[in-house]
Parts: sequence; C-alpha cells; structure tokens
Amino acid sequence: MNLRPYLAREPLTLAVLSVLAVVFFLAVTGLSHVYRAQQGALGNRWFTRGSTELNAGQFSSAVNDFRAALLFSPDNYSYQLNLAEALLGLKRTSEAQAYLINLWGRQPENGFVNRELARICAQDGERDKALRYYHNAIYATWPDDQELERRQTRLELIEFLLKIKARAQAQSELIALAANLGNHPAEQAQVGNLFVRAKDYEDALSAFQMTLKSDRHNVDGMAGAGSAAFELGRYALAERYLKAAVAANPHDVESATRLKTAELVLRMDPFQRGLSDAQKNQIVVDAFATAGQRLKSCNMQNASSEVAQPSLAETWQRMKSRVTTSGLRRHPDLVETAMDLVFRIERETGASCGTPSEVDTALLLVAKSREGG
Amino acid sequence: MGHLPNSQGDVLLDEEASPCVLAPEHPSKAFLHTVFREERFFLVLSVFIGIFSGLAVVCFRFAIEWCRIYLLGDGVTLTPLRLILVPTLAGLVIAVLVIHLFPLTRGSGVNQTKAALYIYNGYIPIRTAIGKFITAALAIGSGHSLGPEDPSLQIGAALASALGRRMRFSRDRMRLLAPVGAAAGLAAAFNAPISAVLFVIEEVIGRWTAGILGSVVLSAVSSVVVMRWFLGSQSLFRIPAVEMMRPSELIAYSILGILGGLASVVFSSSIAALRPRCKALPRWTQYLQPALAGLLIGLIAVLGAPQVMGAGYEVIDEAMHGRFTWQMLGVLAGLKIIATLLSFVSGTPGGMFAPTLFIGAMLGAAVGGAEHAFLPYLAVSPATYALVGMGVLFAGFLRAPMTSVFMVLEVSGNYSIIVPVIVANTFAYVISRRLKPTAIFDVLTREDGLDLPSMEEQREEGILRVEDAMRPPQDPLVDAQETVDRVLQLSAKASSDVLLLHLNPSGWASITRQDLRRMSGEGKGGFTLSSLVAIRHIPHLHPDQPLDMALRYVDRWPVVPVVSRADFRKLEGVISQRDVLQRYRDFGEG
Repeated sequence: MNLRPYLAREPLTLAVLSVLAVVFFLAVTGLSHVYRAQQGALGNRWFTRGSTELNAGQFSSAVNDFRAALLFSPDNYSYQLNLAEALLGLKRTSEAQAYLINLWGRQPENGFVNRELARICAQDGERDKALRYYHNAIYATWPDDQELERRQTRLELIEFLLKIKARAQAQSELIALAANLGNHPAEQAQVGNLFVRAKDYEDALSAFQMTLKSDRHNVDGMAGAGSAAFELGRYALAERYLKAAVAANPHDVESATRLKTAELVLRMDPFQRGLSDAQKNQIVVDAFATAGQRLKSCNMQNASSEVAQPSLAETWQRMKSRVTTSGLRRHPDLVETAMDLVFRIERETGASCGTPSEVDTALLLVAKSREGG
Repeated sequence: MGHLPNSQGDVLLDEEASPCVLAPEHPSKAFLHTVFREERFFLVLSVFIGIFSGLAVVCFRFAIEWCRIYLLGDGVTLTPLRLILVPTLAGLVIAVLVIHLFPLTRGSGVNQTKAALYIYNGYIPIRTAIGKFITAALAIGSGHSLGPEDPSLQIGAALASALGRRMRFSRDRMRLLAPVGAAAGLAAAFNAPISAVLFVIEEVIGRWTAGILGSVVLSAVSSVVVMRWFLGSQSLFRIPAVEMMRPSELIAYSILGILGGLASVVFSSSIAALRPRCKALPRWTQYLQPALAGLLIGLIAVLGAPQVMGAGYEVIDEAMHGRFTWQMLGVLAGLKIIATLLSFVSGTPGGMFAPTLFIGAMLGAAVGGAEHAFLPYLAVSPATYALVGMGVLFAGFLRAPMTSVFMVLEVSGNYSIIVPVIVANTFAYVISRRLKPTAIFDVLTREDGLDLPSMEEQREEGILRVEDAMRPPQDPLVDAQETVDRVLQLSAKASSDVLLLHLNPSGWASITRQDLRRMSGEGKGGFTLSSLVAIRHIPHLHPDQPLDMALRYVDRWPVVPVVSRADFRKLEGVISQRDVLQRYRDFGEG
C-alpha cells in the first residue's frame, strides 16, 4: 500500500480527532450535568416523600417511594438504608436483609445496619451471626447519641442471650453494661432486673442498691433489691427493702407476697442470731407442729407417698412428746434433731404433696439457707 | 511458522525473516515511517473510536432514561392507561421511523456488524447509528422488552466505520474497524470491557490475531473509561456476597444449567419460528406490529408484571436481593420471554442481551429459591443462582460460552463463582446445541438472506493438518557433499525423479534425475553437488501445521520436506501438490 499521502496527513488527522474528542466530551459533560441534576432532584423528591411516609408508619408507600428514588440513584446509601428500614416495617425481612448486607459491605462500621442485621439473624435463629452483628453494632459508629445507642444495643444483646439461655455470656455483657451506666436510676433498675433474669442475684442487688443510691425513693429499686436479697437468702435485708417497696406501692402484689414469706422465714428460723433460748424453743415447737400437720395432710392427700412417709410419721410421732418448750429446755441438743426432721418432712412432702402453704414454704427456705443454698 | 514470503515472493528461512517488510524509500523519512505506520495509527485511532463510542453510549443511556421519565413517568407505580398507551403509541412512531427513515435499524446489531466485516468492507452507514439511537431509545424508554447493548454495539461499529471512511484506510483495515467500534460500544453499554472484547472476538471476528486484539482492547478500555467518567464505575447490579458453600451445590447448579438450556431452546425456537412469519405479513402490518407488541406488553404490565418492561436491570437487582418469591421469579422469566419475543419479532429496534440476562437471572433465582425451599442442603443463596442464571442463558441462547463465563465474573467481581458458572454454562450450552444446532445469530442471518460465517460452526470445524496429507519418506536422502555419480547411483533406487538434498549445517534442497544425468554427461561426475549447483533452500513444514500452509509451497517445489519440530534434520515425511489436493478431495467427499 502506498502510505505516502496517508503519512503526510496523519498528524493533522490526530489533531482534528483530538479537538473533536474534546468538543464532544465538553458537550456530553454539559448534558451529563443536566442529567445528574434531574436525577438528583427526582431521587431526592421520592426520598423525601418516602421518609415522611416512613415516619408516619406507611411502610408500603415508603417502600415504593424509596424504590423510585433508587431508580435515580441506585447506589445511594441513605436511600437503600431507608428502603431496608421500610421493608423491615413491612416484615419483609429477607429483602431487607439483602439490602442491609449490601450496605454492610459498603460500611461495616454502621451501627444501625449491624443492629438490624443482628435482629434478623436473631429472629432466624442464626446465633453466631447475630452475636457478631450485635457486637459490631456495640462498637460501631452511630450518627446521633452514640452512647445511648450502644447501651440500647447491648441491652438488646443481653435480652437475646437470656432468650437463648446463654447466661454466662449475658452476665459478662451485663457487667460491662453496669460499668458504663452512670446515674440513670431507671437503667440501673433495668440492669438489676436483667441480672435477676440471669440469676446473678449478687450483682442484681448491687445494681438495685446503685439505683437507690441515685434515687432513694425508686420503687423498682426497692422491689428489685428486696427480691434479690430474698433470692440470696438475706431475709432480714429483703424484709427491709420489700417493706419499703410495698409501702411505696401497695399494689405490688409480688413484693407483698415475698415480704410475707420473708417475714415468715424470719419468724420460723430458730437459728437466727439474737434469739433467747425460750424464743428459739418456741419456734422449734411451732415448726415441729407445722411439719406434723403437713405430714398428716399429705398422708390424707396422697396414698402413693405412704411408702416413704410412714417412717417420717413414726419418727415425728416418737419425738412429739419430747419436742415441747420444757423438753427442749432440758435437752437443748434436741433442737437440731427436731429441726432436721422438720426440714426432711418439708422437703419430702414438698416433692410429693403439691404446693406447700406459706408457712411450709418458709420452713423450706429456712432449710435451704441452713444448708447454705 | 517456519517461513515467510518476502515482497519478492522468495522464501526466507526463520533467521532471515524480518518484520520490516517495506524498506523506507528515503532515510529522511525513516522517522515518520516508524512513528506513523498504518498499524500504529490504527491503534491510536482505536482509542479515539473508544472515546467517541463511549460518549455516544453515554448519550444513548441519557436518551433512554429521559424517554422513560417523560413517557412512562418517574415512579415505580404507573397508571394502567399509561402502561398500555405509551408502548403502543411509541410502537407506532417507531414503525414509521423504521420504515421511512431508518430501514437498516431493524434486526440484530451483531449481525449487521458481521455483515460489515464480511460483506460490505466495513461499511455501516452513519444513518443506521442515528436511527438505532433514536428508535432503540424510544423503544426501551417506552417499555418495550429490549436492551441497550446491541444498539450500543452497532452505534460503536457505525461510528468506527464512519471514522475509517474519513481516514481512507485499506480495505482490510476498514473491515476490522467495525468490530473495534462494536467492542467499544458493547463495553460501554455493559461496563464490562473483558466481556465485550471476548464477545466481539468470539461472535463477530471469530479468530484471535494480535493485530486486531490490541485495537479491540484499546477501544473497549477507552470507551469504558469514558462511560465511567460520566456514569460512575458501579456495575449494573449490586452484587450480594456470593460463594459456593459446598461441592454438593454443583448438583443444583447443574439443574439450573439444564433448565437454562431448555429455556434457551424455547426462546430461540420461538424467535426462529415467529420472526419470518411476521416479516412475511403484508407490508401495511409492519406499521402495526411494534404497536401491537407494545399493547400486549402493556397488558402484561397491567395484569401484574410491569417488571417485564424495558431492559429490566433494576428488576434483576431486586431479584438478586430476594424481592420475589421463587414462583414469581419463574412467572417473570416466562413473561419476559413472551414480551421480548413480541418486541423482537415485531421489528422493534433493540437488543437481546439485557432480556437474556433478565430471563437468566429470574430463572436462576427461581431455581435457587425452589431448591432452597425443597432441598435446603443443596441451594444456599438465590442471589448466586440469579448471577449464574445470567451466564447460563448467555451461553445457551447467545451461544457465547467464553463470554458468558467472563461476563458473570466481570459483573460479579467474584472469582469464587467460577466453578458453578462453568458447570451450569456447559450444561446449558451443550443442551442448547443438541436441541437447536443453529445459533440464534446464524438463524437471524439466514432469515435475512445473508450467508455470514457461523462462528460456532467455525469453532467446531475440523482442521486438516500437514500430517494428514504427508507421505513417509521412501526415496533415499542425499547429502549435498556427495558426488554427482554417487547420487546418480542412488537415484536409480528412487521412486520419483526428484531427490531431497540435505544441506550442511541445516536446510533442504532438491535436485532432479535429469540434472544429475546432465552433470554426469558434462564430465562432472566426481564433483560434489554443493560445488556444482547454486542451491536454493526449500522451505520445510512441520506435521502439526495446517494443510493450508503447504499450499503456499507445493506449487513451487515438487516435494516439500516435513521435519520434526525437535530436530530439523529429522525428516518425518514429504508432501507434494498431489498429496495436498488428494487429501482435500478426500475430505470434501468424506
């Protein structure tokens, strides 16, 4: 091929092409500005509309509006986040999850996304994933009140852990939470209740005491402290808190019942410090009589338990004549023997003869605290 | 290759071959010659083609979006009246434009680019690009079930062709310009340069050559850069995390591949059956066909599946993110086949790539969802299935197996999906080929009365090699250091008149019995052959070389030696013109 004419005009051709490219580029840039402005405006319009509907709880319309907004700005983080939120409102979790996972990929540190993903995973029973997202959310960044959001998330995590019976993990989260609570009586009381649910009564009592330190008239604090002290077997302390709780809120039936039991325990416990011998002996005689009554009613109620109970009944019958105030005064060592029998009767009848009376319950609790349990 | 013919037609040995075929006429022009050779200029021009195609595709995307906003509205919920009226009326306008102003905009851009390459010396009228731009934007924007990739490909090819005409390139270069532009257009439309390059090589050009590959890559990359400059670098879909959890999932992907293959056959058979019927209808009906297609698509939308309208990328995105139940996904796949069929056979300009991806994604997600519901241990994420499904339909319907794999990889940006994609695509491709031997592009070409080479058939074609025609060496080999008398003696045992001479240290030549007799008669019997004759080297061949290669030599030399690649002195056989022709004759009869 003869290249000569071709070579001669080549630099010029390249120059012309370059100029043309620049001109077209500028023209398309102008067009692109118009396009982007229009897309942005339309997206924003639908987003604003969707946000209003989302706040009003009109999730279905909000979903459509956010979808329309996304047509104009498919990668917009806020649009996707709000769409996910609206989908969650409609309980379309799998769709919401897909959006959230996508958002998570773009911003793994977003607290809201992590918490929502954790909720979905918790709901789906994906325990490990849920825990991971909850922990991410706790240490994530939050747009507004960061501390509050983190606390709320940790509380939610604890609820989840308690629900799946991961008490040890729940306890450690609770301890971490309690350390950062500050002087918020309501939250301290909430943490106390969670400690109770985690069966960590010692920390529960501390939390409720903190509540009362912040607000000495806090009813939840009083009831909670009373309940925790009761579970710990510290009936005198429990009685004090519960009395205050019932006085502050006479409608608190649970505290009232507990108070009654605590008072009974204190009344029926012959091993308390500070009792005179006469008082102690009288308590033992009363407890022995109560146990005998329980045994008798149990024999009448339940024929099947007769195998074990005749021996208890015989023992009780044999001791009956000696367990009197004068008998106990003469033989103080009989106090232990008599109360041992009482505790045995209460335990065995408790297992086979249905709900015990309040006095029997009190005696069982005395037995429990006597055993150190 | 062992030898290259030079400008004079002589054969040069390997060590003599030079890439510089044309010597400069004047030393002062050497610099210009080096810098502005046509080949290099072609590469530079490829970048410009990419830039212009990228800009055109960006404008095309704007046009589609504006058509959608102004015709269908900017929300996601549309009124039934609009859903029916807009595609119908747009269909009427498109029909008028196509019939009266842009008749060449009908049909597949891929085939028109191929026709430019093989028939029209690279010529694609710029009017076709303008027509495709306007009519396809209107069609897709108004909700016809077609995609922007094929028109983008054709716009790119037409721009490249127009530029080439201005440059007055050689015929060969002109032919290659259209595919270069096509790659640029497709790359910008897909935001996937590798897939675009592969598709153009696989479906348009049909062969890998270094010269064209460089240009195609440059144009594709530059167009994608331009497109991303204006529209951002995000892919067409938001790809969720995809991974293959267990090898047992491959069973599920195989099922997807089988179903995808069957769906591809249904889709392509329907097009092959309906398109000629629609074209055969009276001419006046061609004004109504796009409108009727639009009306029916509008009805499908009103009846509850507006997702089938337009290219549907946002719907694919939603399907990947679990918006639809598997039953709904299955229905959408079926309805999209119908909608696309209506749009395409009615002659509405637009592409098949996006609908193919849509159908594949819906089918994939449906299969994934169903398997997840019934066999939860087999399938994990429907999103992964949607992604694999796109590749499956691409392989089964468009019959571009390599592109289908790379397209999924490029779109997903995740290489862990490669095994499922290959497995599923292979099933789809094999089933589709078995049930529908002719690929859709070839069907469309033949319906249009053209006879373009089928890339698929070319790929499958058996190739004759030198070893298929060569004969084992029967005559004695002669060393050039032997005397004339000795060689004459040896030639008495030879079956032919021509003897091969082995030269020292390497190379081959030949001598006839008559020459030997003449030399002996002249009293030169005691002289060595090398001292008597000006020896011309014979080119040699290797057994694995295509038989076509032998044709270049056998008319100039009575026998050509076939030597081992490991040892050039070792003669594996000989080949003559008769051997070559005989082999071709046998092949043709076979």
